[in-house]
Amino acid sequence: MKKIDKPLALPIKKIVRESERVKTFIFDYDFPGKPGQFVMCWVPGFDEKPFGIIKKEGEGFSISVAAVGNTTKALHMMDVGDLLGFRGPYGSHFKLPEKGSIALIAGGYGMAPLSYLAQEARKINLEVYLFVGANKKEELLYMDWMKEIGVKVHTATDDGSYGYSGFNTELFKIYVEKMIFGKVFIVGPEIMEFNATQICYEKNIPFEVSLERYMKCGFGLCGQCCVDSTGWRMCVEGPVLNQDELKKVTEFGKYHITSSGKIKKL
Amino acid sequence: MLDLSVNLLGKKLQNPLILASGIMGVSVSSLKYVIQNGAGAVIFKSIGPDERTGHKNPTVFSFEGGIQNAVGLSNPGIDNSTEKLKEAVSTLSVPVIGSMFAENVNNFKIVAEKMAKTGVAAIEVNLSCPNTEDDFGRMFALEPKVTGEVIRAVKSVVGKTPIIAKLSAESPDIVEVAKSAEEAGADAITAINTISGMFIDIKHKRPILTNKYGGISGPVIKPMGVKAVYNIYKAVKIPIIGTGGVNTGEDALEYIMAGAAAIGVGSGVYFRGIDVFKKISDEIIVFMENEGYKSLNEIRGVVHKN
Repeated sequence: MKKIDKPLALPIKKIVRESERVKTFIFDYDFPGKPGQFVMCWVPGFDEKPFGIIKKEGEGFSISVAAVGNTTKALHMMDVGDLLGFRGPYGSHFKLPEKGSIALIAGGYGMAPLSYLAQEARKINLEVYLFVGANKKEELLYMDWMKEIGVKVHTATDDGSYGYSGFNTELFKIYVEKMIFGKVFIVGPEIMEFNATQICYEKNIPFEVSLERYMKCGFGLCGQCCVDSTGWRMCVEGPVLNQDELKKVTEFGKYHITSSGKIKKL
Repeated sequence: MLDLSVNLLGKKLQNPLILASGIMGVSVSSLKYVIQNGAGAVIFKSIGPDERTGHKNPTVFSFEGGIQNAVGLSNPGIDNSTEKLKEAVSTLSVPVIGSMFAENVNNFKIVAEKMAKTGVAAIEVNLSCPNTEDDFGRMFALEPKVTGEVIRAVKSVVGKTPIIAKLSAESPDIVEVAKSAEEAGADAITAINTISGMFIDIKHKRPILTNKYGGISGPVIKPMGVKAVYNIYKAVKIPIIGTGGVNTGEDALEYIMAGAAAIGVGSGVYFRGIDVFKKISDEIIVFMENEGYKSLNEIRGVVHKN
């Protein structure tokens, strides 16, 4: 299916409350998109923002949205039948190994693209170990879905309210000493991603990470999401990068550019 | 091997293809990536007196035949940009052209003076951004007189740095504007900028862009660009950077035959990928070989003789 570069208006079919802050918006439309790719979602009158695409079996597609700013709060106020505009899918996607076991390291809303990846991995019978971190138990996403499809879930919460007390990367470090993972997939806050990649480099495990940068056009033209030192566009060559590509991204874990083009430290 | 090199404003370009302002030119790394893909020179994204975050998204989308954008001149401000410009000039392998805008003559002078000191190969004066009318009023390039005033002011503070006036086909008479820019001391002309338009999403019942209207680029504006270059070429002696809808070697050749000294490539990065520069160069070479030409000088402005 062709990608859509002019916003396509789609009505919300169903809304699921995932947690105190997160809602999933489901659309009855077979939007193209692989795990790791994103769509630009236009909330008319507010803004247009990138969200990782999720295509759960039996549904068109969905996005999960945390109400954190004006736009996402406005989105949370919307009802079934209300219209949003979508472009995409954009960017590179995750590449699963053919067999063996994989680890997913998800921090916060990083669960969105990784849940879709977990589903695709289970379809081809990979062993999937999930190391998911959240502030507290209530903010862990898709736990029922993940267990239902046979993902081995390991949770870490900052407040110790569920599972390991601490960071999911610490939990992963414990498991990596005693288990063999063919490939690791990492999505979360950049500091978590940085820590996770360091463990993988140390243990020489191949990985892919999704690097989030401020987006404008989404299709490789404006240069807003280009990273140092390669100049790669995170909407085309990224956001999913592998262990060798990431080594060339010298700004990873250090800084990014803001919407004005100014450098902002992590 | 056929030579595509051109001399422009005292610099030698390996090929006539210049990355147009506003595309990719946010960082030194992004420009390096464009150069690796075959650009003969690069123009930075426009820089103004102060930091601007630009308009809220949607700021860019594409339609059959073109791109519409109203990014809103997002930039870090000249004072946050001079180090980056110096780094680009000293590390990149092709001429680096700065681009600037301002809301009044005095600020044009302030930005231009600081930009000239970074050592850029030239400064393109953006007199024709169609997307900031609410903040900045109507574009300068609509009027010959106003254009002349800005160019004269900029020229007075930049020393030997060449100045390029970026003009708009929205002007009632772009030829008169170009003549006025030349008289005021402009060293080259870029023609054309995007052309303002509007798209309405009929389901949402509102314009798509947050700014409501925005500049149209890409193949749909190429005929307007070629016409502008054709007419300006007859009226001025300074070189013209023909810009607007160049996706292929054939497109570039149309501009060169109309009289363009060099070619701006922008939306082509979307339509054909980041290696659009290499592709266009290759296509120009194939045409010239088939037609038995050795140099672009043999075909520049050729339509004026026919």
